[in-house]
Amino acid sequence: MSTELATPAATKTALIAAEALSKSFGDVQVLSGIDLAIHPQEVVCMIGPSGSGKTTLLRCLALLETPSLGCVRMEGQIISQPDQTRAVKKAAQSMGRDIGMVFQHFNLWPHMTVLQNIIEAPVRVRKTPRAKAVAEAESLLEKVGLSDKRDVYPARLSGGQQQRVAIARALAMRPKVLLFDEATSALDPELKREVLLVMRALAGEGMTMVVVTHEMGFARNVGTRIVFMDEGAIVEEGAPRAFFETPQTDRAKRFLRQFED
Amino acid sequence: MGGYRFRWDVIPANLEFLLSGLQQTLYISSITLVLAMIGGMIIALLDMSRFLPFRMIGVAWGELIRNTPILVQLLWIYYVLPMALGININAWTALVIGLSVYSSAFIAEAYRAGIQAVPVGHREAARVLGMSSTQTLFRIVLPQAVRMTLPPLAANFVQLIKFSSLGAVISVGEITRRGMELSASIFRPLEVFTFIAIVYFVICWPLAMAIRAWERRLARR
Ligand SMILES: Nc1ncnc2c1ncn2[C@@H]1O[C@H](COP(=O)(O)OP(=O)(O)OP(=O)(O)O)[C@@H](O)[C@H]1O
Ligand SMILES: [Mg+2]
Repeated sequence: MSTELATPAATKTALIAAEALSKSFGDVQVLSGIDLAIHPQEVVCMIGPSGSGKTTLLRCLALLETPSLGCVRMEGQIISQPDQTRAVKKAAQSMGRDIGMVFQHFNLWPHMTVLQNIIEAPVRVRKTPRAKAVAEAESLLEKVGLSDKRDVYPARLSGGQQQRVAIARALAMRPKVLLFDEATSALDPELKREVLLVMRALAGEGMTMVVVTHEMGFARNVGTRIVFMDEGAIVEEGAPRAFFETPQTDRAKRFLRQFED
Repeated sequence: MGGYRFRWDVIPANLEFLLSGLQQTLYISSITLVLAMIGGMIIALLDMSRFLPFRMIGVAWGELIRNTPILVQLLWIYYVLPMALGININAWTALVIGLSVYSSAFIAEAYRAGIQAVPVGHREAARVLGMSSTQTLFRIVLPQAVRMTLPPLAANFVQLIKFSSLGAVISVGEITRRGMELSASIFRPLEVFTFIAIVYFVICWPLAMAIRAWERRLARR
């Protein structure tokens, strides 16, 4: 597993990669020259202070934001760049559905039941026959421990249950990579656990994941690589043990100090 | 007015005549609501179009309609439009066109508010899952927006019932006009217009109360 800083050569073999990616909103530069290559079966945990650009980077990878400079590649092909040419758009459309995302506030569709939320995209986008989509949804619900909630509306579920449904919904598209943006921050401590367990199980199955999180325990125990961001740049990255025990930069040291008791 | 002697019996005696007006009132309001829902959709689509000239037309249209009195709009459609276009528009058609156009501007606002009430995150979730913008609109945004739009649509229906009384000015035979005709022939305006006011109230008030309860229920979700 690669732990060195990504080079353009590395981004070409990566599953998904940001290449010299910058993003500005108006005059405000939020990301500057990010190089990050994610390889199959990695669990990359992104940490850093509030406002450092973690969400924005994840949104660029999810194709929800267009970079101001640089590009996003998937399996070597450009799927997003400032000039969204027809070829790039086409690549985004066909490869973009292999990218799944789990949001901080779940974003389940309230007018659909749990089952409908899960089968919507497989049926409409992948054109999976409905019966097959339902069967797959049921096995996903079993996996996240919510078989009995199949026909319930999201409003009737706890936050932890909603987030597990959201994970099942993302998995239903059989993504090659799953992005998590603070998937547990909106949850009470006891509900965080049930979601983290599901995420841990996914990592164990070899799912490629990029996880923005404030859960240092998860980053350390489940992550295969830590990426530390500050002020729109990747300041330090490395294996979890090395990063948490012997951080190299002052900024990382200062950041980690706030998690000490 | 101490010496006035009410003659309420004039109401039952002319009930059929008055109720034929009420029938027209409800008929005009219903047709107008349907037309205004379609017109509102067109204005809302223009307003939210990605194409600037369309957006400008939509905005200008809405502003024009919301900032001139409905009575003036009706008179304009009845007297000016036929001359300008060299066509014949009867009073009934002018009323239906005028009310539809007027109402469509407000209904467009209701549609827009309903669509904007759908959290952006719901759309983004659909987009990341690979759904097209059309699929997202029809499967995720509109089903949620419609629920938010129903109470304002019902409120618009109440408005239309009341505003259709303006048809009396251009002699459309809805209930207010019928009342004017009746009171002119039997010289009993007090009884006639009191009765007509009660009829409007009995129809509009329960509707308005139901809408308020409905809105409270939506707000709680
Ligand atoms: N759409 C936007 N328009 C303008 N500024 C934005 C926008 N989105 C993010 N920003 C700004 O970009 C910076 C980085 O935001 P971002 O949400 O990516 O940080 P973050 O690392 O995810 O922070 P947090 O830990 O608080 O979630 C912030 O200063 C934010 O105000
Ligand atoms: Mg964030």
